Amino acid sequence: MYNRIIKFLGLILVFVLMWVPAHSQDEMTAIDNDMFLKPQRPVSVFQHDEHNETAEIEDCAQCHHLYEDGQLVEGESSEDMRCADCHEEKGIGKTPSLTQAFHLNCKMCHQEKKSGPVMCGECHVK
Amino acid sequence: MHDLYNFVSGPLVWVAFAVFFFGCLYRLIRMLALVNQKEKFIFSYMSFKYSLRSILHWSIPFATENMRQHPVMTIVTFAFHFCLIITPLFLLAHVILWDEAWHFSWGHLPEGLTDIMTLVVVFGCFFFLIRRLRLPEVQFVTSASDYIILGIVAAPFITGFLAYHQWFNYPFFMILHIISGEIMLITIPFTRLAHMVLAPFTRAYMGSEFGGVRHARDW
Ligand code: HEC
Ligand code: HEC
Ligand code: HEC
Ligand code: HEC
Ligand code: HEM
Repeated sequence: MYNRIIKFLGLILVFVLMWVPAHSQDEMTAIDNDMFLKPQRPVSVFQHDEHNETAEIEDCAQCHHLYEDGQLVEGESSEDMRCADCHEEKGIGKTPSLTQAFHLNCKMCHQEKKSGPVMCGECHVK
Repeated sequence: MHDLYNFVSGPLVWVAFAVFFFGCLYRLIRMLALVNQKEKFIFSYMSFKYSLRSILHWSIPFATENMRQHPVMTIVTFAFHFCLIITPLFLLAHVILWDEAWHFSWGHLPEGLTDIMTLVVVFGCFFFLIRRLRLPEVQFVTSASDYIILGIVAAPFITGFLAYHQWFNYPFFMILHIISGEIMLITIPFTRLAHMVLAPFTRAYMGSEFGGVRHARDW
């Protein structure tokens, strides 16, 4: 009886040990859509580090820009925040909606560089 | 691929909408000019009340004698025209692209619903096709252009459906969809599809003549 419980607990321990590093080392491969109330599309593929390496983007603020009182803070970035912290479901004035923030940021650069996905299904892969 | 996409989703959209808009305007003005030249007296009995009454009757399913005699045709026709116009206007992808370009957006329908509405349009096109092929009285008044028009209307819906589901070659059908949508917009003013803007005037004229001159119903 005790033997079984110990075996069972051991099994759980093994799982936990396998689980934790798997999660903490998980590299970002897609952009989470948990901040959308009713997501309509599959999450967009985005391998954060690899993407920025191949695309040769050095400045984090290209995407993680920081605004204070509506003014862009030059030379600083906001990677400790989520886009959804400032971009809401609906656009307000010059601040685009969350969906548009992603689309304008991602798609416009791909169109300018003529490299990277531009059509819905190339990012929102089923 | 980027150059092609940028072109069909940029300048070509401008061309398509400009031709569509000014083409329809031209058709309306030409129609009014022709009436003014040949049958000016029509203006004398045009009546707002009878016009509206006729348009209204022909806009409600089964509100006319003709519709009651052809129930299947009536249901298909109404479902078809409703989905044909509403689907692209309130399609999420279209609203998002419009927002990207103009920073201006409106509501959209759930994608599951627009997916079904797309199928309704495609089904409608097949129905009209079979009808043209099968019924002798319809075949008699059918010309090659009628089949081409059916194809032009069905194409954006079939390709849009395939692109949405990412079936087969996605980029290919996405670009084909955009081009076929633009072809449809461009051909509207110059084919029988122009009934989209002209039909209300035909009805207004019929309604006014029947109501004001013949004192009869035109439905
Ligand atoms: C091409 C745009 C882009 C660039 C460049 C970029 N990021 Fe990100 N990053 C994102 C997006 C998008 C998210 C997800 C944000 C969200 O979910 O709100 C993110 C998330 C993060 C996160 C939190 C999520 C996680 O699990 O990793 C960190 C930390 C981060 N980025 C750091 C950086 C740093 C440091 C740089 C510069 C070396 C950088 N980013 C450059 C787009 C970018
Ligand atoms: C600290 C708040 C804040 C955060 C975090 C933030 N934004 Fe913004 N963003 C703004 C504001 C404010 C504007 C409006 C700028 C203006 O007035 O022109 C803006 C504008 C934009 C624009 C419009 C064009 C431009 O660059 O000005 C895009 C695109 C955008 N944000 C994308 C993103 C993305 C993607 C993320 C997450 C990786 C993000 N933003 C995170 C505040 C923020
Ligand atoms: C500043 C420019 C820039 C921004 C911003 C940007 N990208 Fe990219 N992206 C690129 C370039 C350049 C490539 C092509 C890289 C290559 O040579 O393969 C690319 C490629 C990609 C690819 C193809 C696979 C890969 O990782 O190479 C995906 C997917 C992608 N981007 C998603 C996104 C998403 C999602 C965003 C917004 C959060 C985004 N990108 C923002 C420049 C950008
Ligand atoms: C360059 C990549 C890219 C392209 C191209 C793109 N999107 Fe997105 N989209 C994103 C990212 C990143 C998000 C943020 C959340 C996520 O990952 O889904 C997003 C979010 C969304 C959302 C809100 C979240 C949801 O699932 O409801 C919708 C809707 C959406 N996109 C639809 C579209 C449509 C329609 C198109 C084509 C007209 C399109 N997108 C093209 C990257 C892209
Ligand atoms: C004028 C240029 C047009 C552009 C740029 C355009 C763009 C798009 C895009 C990006 C999609 C989504 C594909 C996806 O999810 O991957 C789409 C879908 C669709 N479009 Fe268009 N479109 C255009 C014209 C039209 C026209 C004129 C019609 C019909 C009259 C139309 C009907 C549809 C339909 C029915 C769908 C798919 C709906 C579904 O099955 O869910 N489009 N279009």
